[in-house]
Amino acid sequence: MKRLLEQIGETTLWALETLGGINLLFWRTVAAFFPPDFDKRETWRNLYKVGVKSYPIVVMTALFTGALMVIQSAHFVQSTGATIVIPLGTGFTVLAEIGPVLIGLMFSGRVGANNTAELGTMAVTEQIDALRALAIDPIRYLVVPRFISMCVMLLLLTALGDFFAILGAMVTNGALIDFSPELFFNEMIILHFLDEYLMGLCKAATFGIAISVVSCYFGMTVRGGAVGVGRAVNNSVVATAIAIFVLDLLTNLLWVQAGWLTTG
Amino acid sequence: MLHPLDVDVPRGQILGLVGPGGVGKTLLLKMLCGLIRPDEGTVEIEEVDLNRLRGLKLAEMRKRFGVLFQNYALFDFMTVWENVAFPLIRADVCDEKTARARAVELLTHLGLQGSEALMPNQLSGGMKKRVSLARATIARPEILLCDDPTAGLDPVTSSKIFIMLKRVQQESGATTVVVTHDIDRLVQICDHYVMLYEGRVIFTGDHEQAMASEHPAVQKFFRG
Repeated sequence: MKRLLEQIGETTLWALETLGGINLLFWRTVAAFFPPDFDKRETWRNLYKVGVKSYPIVVMTALFTGALMVIQSAHFVQSTGATIVIPLGTGFTVLAEIGPVLIGLMFSGRVGANNTAELGTMAVTEQIDALRALAIDPIRYLVVPRFISMCVMLLLLTALGDFFAILGAMVTNGALIDFSPELFFNEMIILHFLDEYLMGLCKAATFGIAISVVSCYFGMTVRGGAVGVGRAVNNSVVATAIAIFVLDLLTNLLWVQAGWLTTG
Repeated sequence: MLHPLDVDVPRGQILGLVGPGGVGKTLLLKMLCGLIRPDEGTVEIEEVDLNRLRGLKLAEMRKRFGVLFQNYALFDFMTVWENVAFPLIRADVCDEKTARARAVELLTHLGLQGSEALMPNQLSGGMKKRVSLARATIARPEILLCDDPTAGLDPVTSSKIFIMLKRVQQESGATTVVVTHDIDRLVQICDHYVMLYEGRVIFTGDHEQAMASEHPAVQKFFRG
């Protein structure tokens, strides 16, 4: 019993320390923009690494997701004749939920984990100490460029993913159900969109902030060599996944409470 | 953990910070350049307490240091010349072209001609140490801190590193602190010694005084 209580206490303290550390890192990152003083070359390097190298997996995931949504619902829709449900369902789920959340999770697995491993390796091999010894602030040099590139690129990748998911749905819809792509597209435009689209992009931006700050925090605070790096990557992936779902929930609540969702 | 201690580093000379592994040498070295703050006490550079400095003042103070890290600490996403020129480029000392020329010149001086475009993972341990030494000294620091510059190197390469270290120090006149337990080679370049043992300073003085010391740990360390 005593051991159990000790473990609960230790875990609670660790969670609070982690939350505090992430919060502090976020505000220190924001403070680095006033005045904006960060490494431009490092920012471009990260924009390329994060964005250009991630788009193939995002496009592939989005295409398959859009197609699978139609395949899963085609039988039900055909049996009831409610073909109009397809563009409605696809548009809403892709733009408001599946697009940003799935791409956010893919992004956190690919980019966030890689970022934690990279910064963690820099920490255990004293590269971060070397920066500080050279009078360079690691937050301005390492964290801010990653923060900018992840926020910008996740936003763009989500917009790209939305397009390809709808394209996948549209093509599959044309192949499985007698519903022309033009009609599919027009129905989606008439039914909704701007609200869901904006909500999805808003989610992508908040996910980008969460993934960058959380992955940088776990990377910069690595202790204990290669084992520590592995543990940090694991913690980072779990924490970003939780953050994505919590932020998704909060954004949905905000949109509903504010009456910004007008679909239907 | 370090116990209360008092160490003076003579200006323009090489101080050997010696002692067995795990006694706090690296910890003390990192305190000397402000990477770790002591719980109590001061680290004074010309009567300025390093631990009271923040922000730009701390950054300005750190520009006076060059640090050679035990694990090289080379930036693995940069080439050799970019690593060496990095302190000059970041501090806006000169333009990139001039910084590159100075980096290549220094690398040649340290016997690394032709390796400018390589990545750190393509270098041997001895080469990494020399690149790290080049990066630590390219901005002509007033204070040079070297953490175990020969760790993991063979005896021949270790001797070369110490000779280069001495040459660089003589040319720059930097106040230098070398952490090592390679006492045989350190003797060839060092002026003064401070020996740490179980987190305390147990000896301060030159080589002759060390050889004459009656402290068993000092005797064992210096006489073998």
